[in-house]
Amino acid sequence: MTTVPDHIEDLLRHQAPRVLGALVRRYGHFDLAEDAVQEALVAAATRWPAEGVPQRPRGWLLTVASRRLTDLLRAESARRRREATVAARTAPDEWLAPAADRPPAASDDTLVLLFLCCHPALTPAGQIALTLRAVGGLSTAEIARAFLVPEATMTRRISRAKQTIAASGVPFAPPVRAEYAARLGAVLRVLYLIFNEGYASTAGPRLARTELTGAAIRLTRLVHRLLPADGEVAGLLALMLLTDARRPARTGPDGELVPMAEQDRGRWDAAAIAEGIELVTAALPRGPTGPYQLQAAIAALHDEAASPADTDWPQILALYEVLLRIDDSPVVRLNHAVAVAMVRGPRAGLDRLDALDAQARRGDHRPDAVRAHLLELAGDRDAARRHYLAAAQRALSLPQQRYLHARAARLPAPDEPGAQA
Amino acid sequence: MKYMILLFGSQRDYDAMAGRPGAEPAWTGEDVGKLAEFMQSWWAEVVESGEAVDAQGLTAPVHARRVRLVDGVPVATDGPYAETQEVLAGYNIVDCASFDRAVEIAARLAKAPHPEGMPDDRWYVDVRPVADNAEESLA
Repeated sequence: MTTVPDHIEDLLRHQAPRVLGALVRRYGHFDLAEDAVQEALVAAATRWPAEGVPQRPRGWLLTVASRRLTDLLRAESARRRREATVAARTAPDEWLAPAADRPPAASDDTLVLLFLCCHPALTPAGQIALTLRAVGGLSTAEIARAFLVPEATMTRRISRAKQTIAASGVPFAPPVRAEYAARLGAVLRVLYLIFNEGYASTAGPRLARTELTGAAIRLTRLVHRLLPADGEVAGLLALMLLTDARRPARTGPDGELVPMAEQDRGRWDAAAIAEGIELVTAALPRGPTGPYQLQAAIAALHDEAASPADTDWPQILALYEVLLRIDDSPVVRLNHAVAVAMVRGPRAGLDRLDALDAQARRGDHRPDAVRAHLLELAGDRDAARRHYLAAAQRALSLPQQRYLHARAARLPAPDEPGAQA
Repeated sequence: MKYMILLFGSQRDYDAMAGRPGAEPAWTGEDVGKLAEFMQSWWAEVVESGEAVDAQGLTAPVHARRVRLVDGVPVATDGPYAETQEVLAGYNIVDCASFDRAVEIAARLAKAPHPEGMPDDRWYVDVRPVADNAEESLA
């Protein structure tokens, strides 16, 4: 799809989940319908640039995908006669007329499709791959490239996910009321994971994988449009925008990490910050406050500060205290300790760390890194240096190790022989 | 036929790339960036040609744990490697037409950039055919 003009590609990605949703709602067969839609997308990507975009793009895609689905169902009938009868009974023309005339249903279909792709029966890797392909409109090759795996691997992952859905007999329908919150929670988590994979890129040196952060933001926007009243959806979208806004300043020319306090704030994306702040400001007063909203509010306070010194740490600390009540994980407790240090002084933060260490110490470099920072703030340079080195020893990624060694190097060893040991 | 390209490194190499004080030869951030970029584009070509199966890098030997039987009980110990001992640092599995082709892919790694003045006579990778019936176990 590399030569497809942007406006057509955007249009296709926008239409893909709607077409697939409509197809699956009417005929079931998620796995075959998904293949049929992919083929329709490829056909459109080949023909539209040359022939022009048809007047009703969704109708065009539905027609092509439906025909293809008929073919696939017929082929399938060689093996499974029963299904063939059902497929053969439905004339393609009957399939199509209502869809294009029922635009409101299209958005519901997209949401149902998302719930289906993030079904708890699937592995997280399967949920992510399927969501990107079925709802995000990415080709298998694009998803494989983004995750740096061979296309064959990604093809297997996607088809396994589709088989799981087919085998579990999950109906194409919105989840029942009792299940709704949990399923929406799963959808938001998958979107969050996609974003993180692109932002805190584990593979590759300097490639923050913008195709993944971009897809995550696009999909979350879509969910926000479908559920504008949901505070956590708005919170997640705000969190992504406010985090992604800092990306341009987050790595140096050689791909090294630049901590927030040292970033050139002029390079932050002002438009994304404004949008994120607006979203979270509107969402916060509207009822139960969830973890995404809280994290977005914290991110907003960081982004709003003109300089590190201007950061509203008391407010951030207050938000972390609320967050702790919902999510008592080691990472949140660690961040809370930093906030405590910034408000009440490094020693108070170090006390918090002592309480946390026992559980979190093994295997994770972050408690040591935070301790080192706080010791440096407290003026204990020697202990700080030792903890930076200890953190570097524990850190698994090269950029992190380089960052921690560089911090240690700023604090010259006293007369300690064998500082390299 | 599948072949595994094995890459080797010592704790000392890892330390040098991580900018550990006193480690020799010192790698600058730029050196590391160049190498990472080179490795990525090397592998991207293999993915593009359809010969890629799987690739993984391993973290430094210092993170290794060895599990062995002591008096009949499995016991795990930390970091069993000497600093200069070369151990597996990563692998790439390719699926290609011939052993020669796999060697050709591996040989492109000889152009991997390294800090100026670093001798390259220590450079090597191993290419080994994968036993057949491991088919499809990866993904």
